[in-house]
Amino acid sequence: MKTIKSHPYQWPYNGDLRPENTALIIIDMQTDFCGKGGYVDAMGYDLNLTRAPIEPIKAVLSAMREKGYHILHTREGHRPDFSDLPANKRWRSQQIGAGIGDPGPCGKILVRGEPGWDIIEELYPKDGETIIDKPGKGSFYATDLEMVLRMRGIENLVVCGITTDVCVSTTMREANDRGFECVVLEDCCGATDKGNHDASMKMVTMQGGVFGAVADSKTLIAGLV
Amino acid sequence: MQTIPADPFAFPFERGSLGLIIIDMQRDFVEPGGFGASLGNDVSRLGAIVPAVARLLAGFRRAGLPVIHTRECHKPDLSDLPDAKRDRGTPDLRIGDPGPMGRLLVAGEAGAEIVPELVPMPGETVLDKPGKGAFCRTNFEALLQELGLQHLIFAGVTTEVCVQTTMREANDRGYDCLLATDATESYFPSFKAATIEMITAQGGIVGWAAPTDIILEALNG
Repeated sequence: MKTIKSHPYQWPYNGDLRPENTALIIIDMQTDFCGKGGYVDAMGYDLNLTRAPIEPIKAVLSAMREKGYHILHTREGHRPDFSDLPANKRWRSQQIGAGIGDPGPCGKILVRGEPGWDIIEELYPKDGETIIDKPGKGSFYATDLEMVLRMRGIENLVVCGITTDVCVSTTMREANDRGFECVVLEDCCGATDKGNHDASMKMVTMQGGVFGAVADSKTLIAGLV
Repeated sequence: MQTIPADPFAFPFERGSLGLIIIDMQRDFVEPGGFGASLGNDVSRLGAIVPAVARLLAGFRRAGLPVIHTRECHKPDLSDLPDAKRDRGTPDLRIGDPGPMGRLLVAGEAGAEIVPELVPMPGETVLDKPGKGAFCRTNFEALLQELGLQHLIFAGVTTEVCVQTTMREANDRGYDCLLATDATESYFPSFKAATIEMITAQGGIVGWAAPTDIILEALNG
């Protein structure tokens, strides 16, 4: 039995923590969400909030790479012809002055191939690590993430990234419904609003861990097999 | 195109593509003596929204618009129950165990039924789902397409778990989602407030929110 100290229970629930059946999934650490001139910056939010997880994620990424865990990265973005962009998503982004597809300092906002859409240098994927490009907030919808996880026999997911209450929370909910055992790392996530970050973490832990468990980077690293 | 005054801005909809989705108003979650209560939750909070959900339901029926009811429950052989969901946190009462209203969260048991005040009428769709989200391992999306629905009004319980998960799934699929704020509830008031905040943040990143009366007014208008 090998578990990580976490809340509200020791994760994973069955004590079966191994590099072979466990993956780190880093959600949307893209310039558009935490870089100067990106989408979140254009909406006027404080970038310090979405940049705070960079260093803790770096430490977890390095530790899990070293021990041979599966590593996956996601990117939210749309095709340059917008054929995978729901009209209401585009319309709502325009309402707050940061229209998806509009030109900005980092290229067209949330469009695949543009500089702002790519993962930040500090956390850039290494060769052989999986990148999931997704058109939605959830990483399972309209992607091959579930197939990749099943083919590799992955059962446990260490979840982190930005933003906490949007893409991280949606992905964790999707993973949980599909039977994956998730732990989210509190200091490796960030939101545009601190209250929404805190509430998202707390929701995970209710009812005996309705979506999984919560830990932090240091505890996870200390407990890794 | 009509609109419903809402947060963070007006919700545009077409009558022909508007539907009501009532999430998990099941006896086990809402009634005293059910599963929710046995976990020590104050179910009276959930029972208190039944009249608002009933008014919304009556309004959609009067208008002749589609209604879908969901239920969280598992097959009697539990073949659709992930191990992690059953065993996590080593609970005293597991899904499938005998509970106060039959086997917990199992289809066909009394506790899994929708509360009598909101019982589905013939012709209304009832969707059983094994997860928190209504899209996972169900034909919900096919149903929405079949009914021609694009604009979805959400009610039911609990706000931060099944209602919010389903709205997130629907939003990613391009549906326009509005939460009826007084026709949804959580065992924890702060989670309901936080969920409404998250849904409407960043220009309605998940969707819109408005109270029942405002929705009904737009429906009748």
